[in-house]
Amino acid sequence: MATRTANPSRPHVIRVLIPWIILTVAGWIAVSFIHFPFDLSVQGQDQARTLLIMTYLATPVFMGVVVMLVYSGIVFRRRPGEQLVDGLPVTGNTRIQATWIVVSLILVLSLAVLGITTLISSQAAQAIGAAGRAIGGEGETGAAIKETGSELQVQVIAQQWYFTYRFPDYGGVETTHLELPAGVPVEFHVTSLDIIHSWWAYQLGVKADANPGVDNQFHMTPRTTGSFTVRCAELCGIWHGEMADTTGQVVSQGDFNTWIAQQQSYFAEIQKALPSYGPYYFPAPLTKGS
Amino acid sequence: MGARLAWVTGGVIVIVIAIVAFFGYFALQRPGPLKGPATDIHLEVVAAVGSALEWPRPNDPHPDWVGYLPTTVLRVPANSTINMTIDQEDSATGLRNPFWARVQGTTTGSMHVKYFDDKGNPQEGDMTSIDPTQAAHTFAIPDLGVFVPLLGVNANAPANSMNVITFSFHTPGKGVYHWQCFVPCGAKTVFGNGGPMQTYGYMAGQLIVE
Repeated sequence: MATRTANPSRPHVIRVLIPWIILTVAGWIAVSFIHFPFDLSVQGQDQARTLLIMTYLATPVFMGVVVMLVYSGIVFRRRPGEQLVDGLPVTGNTRIQATWIVVSLILVLSLAVLGITTLISSQAAQAIGAAGRAIGGEGETGAAIKETGSELQVQVIAQQWYFTYRFPDYGGVETTHLELPAGVPVEFHVTSLDIIHSWWAYQLGVKADANPGVDNQFHMTPRTTGSFTVRCAELCGIWHGEMADTTGQVVSQGDFNTWIAQQQSYFAEIQKALPSYGPYYFPAPLTKGS
Repeated sequence: MGARLAWVTGGVIVIVIAIVAFFGYFALQRPGPLKGPATDIHLEVVAAVGSALEWPRPNDPHPDWVGYLPTTVLRVPANSTINMTIDQEDSATGLRNPFWARVQGTTTGSMHVKYFDDKGNPQEGDMTSIDPTQAAHTFAIPDLGVFVPLLGVNANAPANSMNVITFSFHTPGKGVYHWQCFVPCGAKTVFGNGGPMQTYGYMAGQLIVE
């Protein structure tokens, strides 16, 4: 009956180190091809950059764990007929312990600084704050629409099963689609006419709950021209899966001016029937016969 | 030898040009818009499917539900003009969002309505919008940008009256598109959007473009 004798540790280190380096480099090459889709806004680009850096830093850690698992499973497996014995007693190695503690500390602190820096940057903080409210916050109920000067105000109105948009800066015109001017900061106000929905424009890197009676606010600046898709991210009934619009556009200021003028003209007839612009609405009837 | 080489070279060039032209012809072709036949669809909208005037369903499990009849699954040809006629027999409920009172996405930008005025007299005319409080239902295909409000039957109209709404819209390529009502007409449900509003055969339907 064979009994395994302990190998010197140095060959193990080399055998693990080489595939770890190779796989880490391969992983970094693969990561370099990742394109996070939410880079159409300044805030989305910040989030994408942060995620990309974190992915680069996480790659060697992930590959190290994988290599160690596979290597241990192969080299230290119990072979047929081999006697089951305890391994060598581990007495500790100060140099190794100090190394992994310091490396882990550096990695974790780097990630923390990176994430916090992105979070508190003036623009990203607001967009991420909106996402945070979408997860579990209550928004700014009843807050008056504030005047913010250069920011374009856009109200998102969710209803089963479609999103419409109102532009208070343009007479409160309501539209079925959304176009935004590139480079202009936008202040969004998200609300609902019935149940809970969630307005998600992932190319813009933003998502916010649409709650009835709540004015959920966030800020975002479209970075460059392009198209975006809007989806509902909160299960809201039979047509939840159809509550999407692929026609969102970030356009130049000139094109936006043309588009909004067309909308004002086309919907002028119904404009007088719309309620005055407000942070949210309690429309009637709630149901037939009520 | 020189003449033979010239013939072979010329022949090869001609063949290459012919092959390039042959495949290039197909590669550069762009299909124009297909024009299918116009399709007529006739629907009836009722306050209770059990007591409809044209396609009653007395044995329906929900005879008191509102609904489009005779079906809410509509099959239409692609790239065609669909001529809709909707016999609207329900009274007004009103829109939660008055915005949907504007006719959108029809071929003319309007709809033709035969209705009864406040004195019960028959009227008809083209409309691009209606009073949002007088909407009974809507016929909306959001993905196609078609939103048509349906005027409710006036309380002073003769018994068993209906408003007849006609309009046309174009279908795109093949696909399945949902259509819905934007009036909260599902009585006794949350915000009026449950029950018949979320059930095929009543107010939830699909437009199958094939």
